[in-house]
Amino acid sequence: MNNVLAIAHKELKGYFASPVAYVVIGFSAILFGWFFINLLYFFDRASMQAGAGFGGPQSVNVNEMLISPLFLNVSVILLFTLPLITMRTYAEEKRSGTIELLLTSPLTDLQIVTGKFLGGLVLYAAMLAVTVVHIGFLFAFGNPEWRPVATGYLGLLLMGGCFLSLGLFVSSLTRNQIVAGMVTFAVFLLFWVINWIATFTGPTMQNVLNYLSITEHLNDFARGVIDTKHLVYYVSFIAFSLFLTVRAVDSERWRG
Amino acid sequence: MIEVQHLTKRYGPTTAVDDVSFRVERGEVLGLLGPNGAGKTTTMRVLTGYMPPSEGKAIVAGYDVFDQPLEAKRRTGYLPEAPPLYPEMTVRDYLAFVARIKGVPRTERKARVGSVMERTRVADVANRHCGKLSKGYRQRVGLAQALLHNPEVLILDEPTAGLDPKQIIETRQLIKDLGGDHTIILSTHILPEVGQTCQRVVIINKGRVVAVDTPENLTSRLSGSETLYVQVDAPGAEVKEALEAIPGVTRVAPADARGSLVGFEVNSETGRDIRRELAAAIVRHGWGLLELRPLRMSLEEIFLHLTTEDTAAEGAPDSPSAPPEEAVHE
Ligand SMILES: Nc1ncnc2c1ncn2[C@@H]1O[C@H](COP(=O)(O)OP(=O)(O)OP(=O)(O)O)[C@@H](O)[C@H]1O
Ligand SMILES: [Mg+2]
Repeated sequence: MNNVLAIAHKELKGYFASPVAYVVIGFSAILFGWFFINLLYFFDRASMQAGAGFGGPQSVNVNEMLISPLFLNVSVILLFTLPLITMRTYAEEKRSGTIELLLTSPLTDLQIVTGKFLGGLVLYAAMLAVTVVHIGFLFAFGNPEWRPVATGYLGLLLMGGCFLSLGLFVSSLTRNQIVAGMVTFAVFLLFWVINWIATFTGPTMQNVLNYLSITEHLNDFARGVIDTKHLVYYVSFIAFSLFLTVRAVDSERWRG
Repeated sequence: MIEVQHLTKRYGPTTAVDDVSFRVERGEVLGLLGPNGAGKTTTMRVLTGYMPPSEGKAIVAGYDVFDQPLEAKRRTGYLPEAPPLYPEMTVRDYLAFVARIKGVPRTERKARVGSVMERTRVADVANRHCGKLSKGYRQRVGLAQALLHNPEVLILDEPTAGLDPKQIIETRQLIKDLGGDHTIILSTHILPEVGQTCQRVVIINKGRVVAVDTPENLTSRLSGSETLYVQVDAPGAEVKEALEAIPGVTRVAPADARGSLVGFEVNSETGRDIRRELAAAIVRHGWGLLELRPLRMSLEEIFLHLTTEDTAAEGAPDSPSAPPEEAVHE
């Protein structure tokens, strides 16, 4: 465990020593803010209409109308920012030769991969933490339910974990971080539009594709429901990607 | 302490290391010598557990590097060909990180980092970023990194590459000092380095071991026949004839000529000292004997002799192993 933390700590320091951390956090804060303002405006109009409507003063649910769609929009932010986090992880170590240090130190491949994943996850968590400020406003000026907010964040963390583990795997396949970044983005895009493609297919196929879609599983979390089905999906997705990464590092060793 | 048994490593179709075997005893400093592409780095990468061998095995500090990699790695310090530095870290932070992953206990880390920085003379750049170091300093930080956990075995891939002459001397001295407590394998193309720092040399060429011996033995054994250099004040042709007439002389070759002075290289049968006869013959003819000295093959010549052996054997079997000049100066 100490070894995992050592790697994670090193990764985090690397992110903050380079522009990556600031770009990622800044970019996501701006984008999140933009979504927030837009949805807030939309929500404001909706609640005014509801208030002035025929049903008398009827409150519009902040969670349903604002927070939940906001969380679903975050997947767009991840699409652009998470490849920046993962693209250098392995590719850069291979290019600069520092991988030789890691692989000749008394560490297992799993410890290295997990450490790198954890480092990326902490940076991502920091990125999410910035958005807590926006949500905090809603709690200050309204009274949304806290439960869907908490489960929403859990869902976001897990969904981001999937993207991060996938990006880590892609990075382990190349020594060029730009290539790693672009391929990662393409793969994310594929997983992102999968449920969109699903709407054009037959019912069985649609179910399969919907199940595969990383973003589809976020819906229930954003609504305040923790379904084991989704938990299992996210956790096994992460575990499988990390496993593939370990395999990729090991097979690279054999090929030399 | 280190045992390499029938080690073979292939990269796809190319065989980088071909059935290499050697041993290194505890406390010994072994030099791995060979031209570019000989397979030195590949051998070291297998020994450090960076890559598995295609065939054969390697035992380091009592552990098979393939079967018990963690145990072997805990006892090995490795300086790769390219020092593995993280450009965005300061030297001190970098060494602290390496100490941590090498398993140096938390309480000892700071002291270890400090003493290793002193020893490798990088303390003055402790707060500099690794990415901003000069080549020589990068090399020294790489060496520092290998020493951190005080490993029993040190594997150093070209430890003096990129250093200035003063630093080369200091690093060689450091390696010599480390020998005894540590078992060391170092690779190099610089031949005098081997003579100065190593107790034993393994010469490899195209992935194969061509010689294993002490630097001294290599020099004398490979000289084969004894070669003498004589300089005489006399007409060249006559001297050559006279020298060839001496019993035991196998070959007389003109070496140089300056005015009336002529120099010859005289080969004799192995183990036969012909200096007395040679001097007597020259004096008998009434020529002036200006110089008479044995020519020993330098390590450079031996190296080139061994590593170009097959081409020489194919071409002219009894041609003198005249080294191509430009290859000697690295
Ligand atoms: N990753 C690799 N993939 C394919 N071939 C390789 C690889 N690394 C080395 N080789 C080949 O293996 C052979 C041995 O290379 P190696 O790096 O071990 O030589 P070396 O003795 O260290 O040379 P140098 O003195 O130049 O450092 C060379 O022919 C090289 O081209
Ligand atoms: Mg090499």
